[in-house]
Amino acid sequence: MPDRLRRLLSGPASLGYAVLTATAVTYLLVYTTNLGHLPTSFDYLSILNTTLPLVFVAIGQSLVVITGGIDLSVGGIVAFCVAVTATRVHGSGLTPFAWLLAILALGTACGAVNGVIVARARIAPILTTLATLSIFSGLALWVLPVPGGSIPSGVRMVLTNPTVPTGLIWLSLAVLGWLVLRRTRFGMRVYAVGSDETSAVAIGVPAARIKIAVYALSGLCSALAAVFYVSTTTAGDANAGGPFILTSIASVVVGGVAFSGGRGSALGAMAGAVALTLVIDVIFFAGIDPLYQSLFQGLFLVVAVLLGTGAALIARARRGAL
Amino acid sequence: MVLTEKSEMQVMAIEASGVDRAFGGVQALRGASFAARPAEIHALAGENGAGKSTLIKVLCGVITADRGKVEIFGQQVRRVVEPAARRGLGVATAFQELSLIPDLTVAENLLLHSPPRGRLGLVRRGRLVPEAEAILHRYGVDYIDSRLTAAELSVAHRQVVELVRVLATEPRVLILDEPTAALPDKQVEWLSGHMRRLRDAGTCVIFTSHRWREIEALADRVTVMRNGTHVATRENLSEAEAVTLMSGRTFEGTYPDVTTIATGETALRVSDLRGGRLQGVSFSMRQGEILGVGGLAGQGQRDLFLTLFGAQRAAAGNLEVGGFPVTLRRPRDAIRAGLGIAYVPEDRKAEGLFLPLSIRDNIALATLARRSSGGLVSRGREAQAVASLVGQLRIGAGRSTSQAVGNLSGGNQQKVLMARWLLTDAQVLLLFDVTRGVDAATKRDIFDLIAQLAAQGKAILFYSSETEEIAHLCHRVLVLREGRVAVELDGPVRDAERIVAASLKEVPGA
Amino acid sequence: MSIHRYARLLAAAAVVLLISTGCGDGSADNPATGGAKRVKIALSNSFIGNQWRVEMENVFKAACAMPPYLEQVECSIYNAGNDVSTQSRQISNLISQGVNAIVINAASTSGLNGVVQQACDRGIVVVSFDNTVDAPCGLTVNTDQVKFGKQLAQFIVDQLKGQGNVIMVTGVAGTGADNDRNKGAKEVFAANPGIKLVGEYTGMWDSATAQRNTSAQLPGLPKVDGVWVSGGTDGVIKAFAEAGRPMPVFGGEGENGFRKYMAGILTPKVVGMSVGQPPFLSVISLELARAVLKGERQKKSIEIPFPVATSDSLKPGETVFPDLPDSFFADFTDSGPNATVVLCQNAATDGTPCPGTLKVNLGS
Repeated sequence: MPDRLRRLLSGPASLGYAVLTATAVTYLLVYTTNLGHLPTSFDYLSILNTTLPLVFVAIGQSLVVITGGIDLSVGGIVAFCVAVTATRVHGSGLTPFAWLLAILALGTACGAVNGVIVARARIAPILTTLATLSIFSGLALWVLPVPGGSIPSGVRMVLTNPTVPTGLIWLSLAVLGWLVLRRTRFGMRVYAVGSDETSAVAIGVPAARIKIAVYALSGLCSALAAVFYVSTTTAGDANAGGPFILTSIASVVVGGVAFSGGRGSALGAMAGAVALTLVIDVIFFAGIDPLYQSLFQGLFLVVAVLLGTGAALIARARRGAL
Repeated sequence: MVLTEKSEMQVMAIEASGVDRAFGGVQALRGASFAARPAEIHALAGENGAGKSTLIKVLCGVITADRGKVEIFGQQVRRVVEPAARRGLGVATAFQELSLIPDLTVAENLLLHSPPRGRLGLVRRGRLVPEAEAILHRYGVDYIDSRLTAAELSVAHRQVVELVRVLATEPRVLILDEPTAALPDKQVEWLSGHMRRLRDAGTCVIFTSHRWREIEALADRVTVMRNGTHVATRENLSEAEAVTLMSGRTFEGTYPDVTTIATGETALRVSDLRGGRLQGVSFSMRQGEILGVGGLAGQGQRDLFLTLFGAQRAAAGNLEVGGFPVTLRRPRDAIRAGLGIAYVPEDRKAEGLFLPLSIRDNIALATLARRSSGGLVSRGREAQAVASLVGQLRIGAGRSTSQAVGNLSGGNQQKVLMARWLLTDAQVLLLFDVTRGVDAATKRDIFDLIAQLAAQGKAILFYSSETEEIAHLCHRVLVLREGRVAVELDGPVRDAERIVAASLKEVPGA
Repeated sequence: MSIHRYARLLAAAAVVLLISTGCGDGSADNPATGGAKRVKIALSNSFIGNQWRVEMENVFKAACAMPPYLEQVECSIYNAGNDVSTQSRQISNLISQGVNAIVINAASTSGLNGVVQQACDRGIVVVSFDNTVDAPCGLTVNTDQVKFGKQLAQFIVDQLKGQGNVIMVTGVAGTGADNDRNKGAKEVFAANPGIKLVGEYTGMWDSATAQRNTSAQLPGLPKVDGVWVSGGTDGVIKAFAEAGRPMPVFGGEGENGFRKYMAGILTPKVVGMSVGQPPFLSVISLELARAVLKGERQKKSIEIPFPVATSDSLKPGETVFPDLPDSFFADFTDSGPNATVVLCQNAATDGTPCPGTLKVNLGS
């Protein structure tokens, strides 16, 4: 077990963990100095519930980035699924949950469309997903032209209960899901395709199918994010997806996933997502002038990435003696 | 038993006929045909650019032919067949451009297709390393750490893993493209053993090599290719015959005459150089001298070259070029300082060449600064300089210099790399294993060029994984051992055994 | 390796800290209400990237530095950008901080419902304005955007005596304000059969975009008698002038540039009505929050009338400002005897307080 822990901490996600720890410690410090007491369960719970959607999108994004691609359409898929969730999920008992499954299927299908275009039509991921981003965002506006809609409180109690940390269950399931995925043959092949697609094809990895599946999974993650988004905010907004594009990519970067593909872990991206949320709180309690908040958020990103690059360079220098 | 063997002999293990294939504007194969029987070792020979690699890719299904058909055990494979499906037919291929996944560990690379599964069909990651170690042990290569990523391995070890990956499938048709190019002699023997074992068990083994003695030693039959077509398939073929068949030309000696001793001034003086594996290397070389660097693999040869090129920092030591002390922090320093050190990297695919760029751009890259005025590159002057070099080196058989380098064969790519550094008017040339994976005729061109450059007064530091070449081409040979110059031999040594013997002396455990 | 070891240490430290605090006290300080103590009121704004938002924050800042707010209120300002989750985090933190009231211009009408509900549950007064929050427990201070559309459209119809071609330059699609304004305008135009709507395109509430899009549309348009603009009016006027078209009647936003044309400070002089979403909504919200906290008013949302200016009623220094840029919103202050609030120019430009006491008229 200690060995496993050691591997976890020295693995590809360690940058994400380091950054998360640093921000968490800073958060505790500024919070305590500012308010004179440690954060309360209310703070933890609200951090958890607001982060969940980003955590899911970051998982999907990291999968795509590990294959050497990028998914800009997460914004569109989140928006589309938010719109559908806020307008269609009604009723009581199990009906709303059946609807939620349908929405997850919808997100997966949207992602698969990306995958097919990228893998079969061989159009660059950035172009493909930029185009589908517009399409999905358009669909979202069509479904929900004005912000609104609602979500049955039953769903809310199960997904993001405002008093009980049900979100923890879903977060653990997400971690577990990743660990399982990593232990499938598919998981290994995802890394193979991202590391060197030509070689992967040469040794018989069905690269196209892997990519389609990965983009579909990213779509599924976006749909999950959408469901949790509506659950925390209790309503929908067709513009809800936009911020997730940049923040998910930032999470992936902070999480230490290599943009050249083949290296990194969704766990790192998840840690990155939580860290990005905590940074907002740190900036808040540090009393940084509102005008410079985005400047500081940007600086945080740059520093995190520089740290990651520095660590990679040191690691390579140590190995370089070969 | 005899009967079945006979009937199997009727059916070819793998057969290609009338295969055409073009890349961009380059026709790599024109009506190529090839056939190999079960239970034979079949060598595929030809100059660089003859179409061997392309043919192999068509055989194993990585690329599809524009025209023609491929049959495996008499069964025609459909036009579009992924390598995955050919694996099902018992065809396994080790590629020249290594197909290991760089970021995966050795264990993951070996077990990518059939990882150990536990309950629920999940991969048991804990079992990956033990199983991979079992495989490595079975093939007698325990010295490879299965926990390292492929990118962390040396080129030679990567090649070994690549071969083990293929061998471990116990294929019915085994295709090896330049399997020995990156291998030291010991591993070549190891591979030969496995090739023979598989042949005896009925496998059809196809391989390509530029080392004639390997073909002679291993192959039951040889097929020679030239310009993308089949020239001949013979059971007995002498080297001279083969070279004539491959090139359409005839050759006298393989090596140029280097008996004349250089008498120029000191071009490069190295004293007590340390860093990496170097434990204090000192030597000097004169203008017009070809100085060989020999020794067993991994005695610091690579570090010496990288340090002199400025790609690796020296921990200590002094360097004088043309009598002036210099400090090298990065390759640009080396190029700039007027000392003109040129280095041809070992792994063409990984470092050095920009495959999508043209021959001209690749060659001109190192000297852009000198031929540009006000930041603009003068296309005219550049084209002129490049054209003369391309002619001199016979690059790409008269193809346009605007052709993308990625479309060239391996040997021609190597020439492009050399040409790039020749254009810098370098006074000291560092040539590190420039003949690796290069065919006999191209080697001959490169050797001639080296001799010619030396005659022009350039100082040349030469390393090759083929000790034979160091023995014949160099005026003087430094034998490195454990990061130091152990012995200095006057050349031409001619007998490679002398260098090998010098390398082994006093090595503990040898 | 050393980096990993460092990370491991940090991780261990954080885990210990989190665990030790997670089981800690669950009750934040209850926000103190009433009495002579200063109340804490925070402004949580979404994005700050345009003139209107800057003026809105400036007048809020100025008001906080003027009596009676100077003595009674402790103000703070936060910007979240257009990111709902950031704003949601900020409001959560404001709750933890124990503020008494939160004044919100929301990044999403619906996206903050969850956290606003939590604030209400803790007895915090939540007032949202401009881009308001849906949550039923929150108070809102707003103008009626449908009325905005109607008022401008009615002005155009009246000027044209019910006959003529009009075009509509709309705002950012998908926002509540844009929908409502368009709806109001179309109702009025539809009720007047003599009015023909010959063009409708977006100006994105931005002068440059409005000008570009108008220039692109004009060649394909017949004679235009009236133009209804949701925002970016001065850009539309410039496009008409550049195309050499006769000046139609304009109904537009409260941009200073538009009012300069109306006042004849810029040529060509145009006939028009300028109605604006006033930046001082933030001040009204501040007053509502203060009054509710002090028990001076009931917890009830309010709607304020638009500050209106027409070509013949403009007064330099009060409703049009010759020395301020075109993009400035000239409706940062109301005017006239029944003015909701009157602010000085400096309050809007740099957030410095105006002389004297600030009087805010919330109506009955």
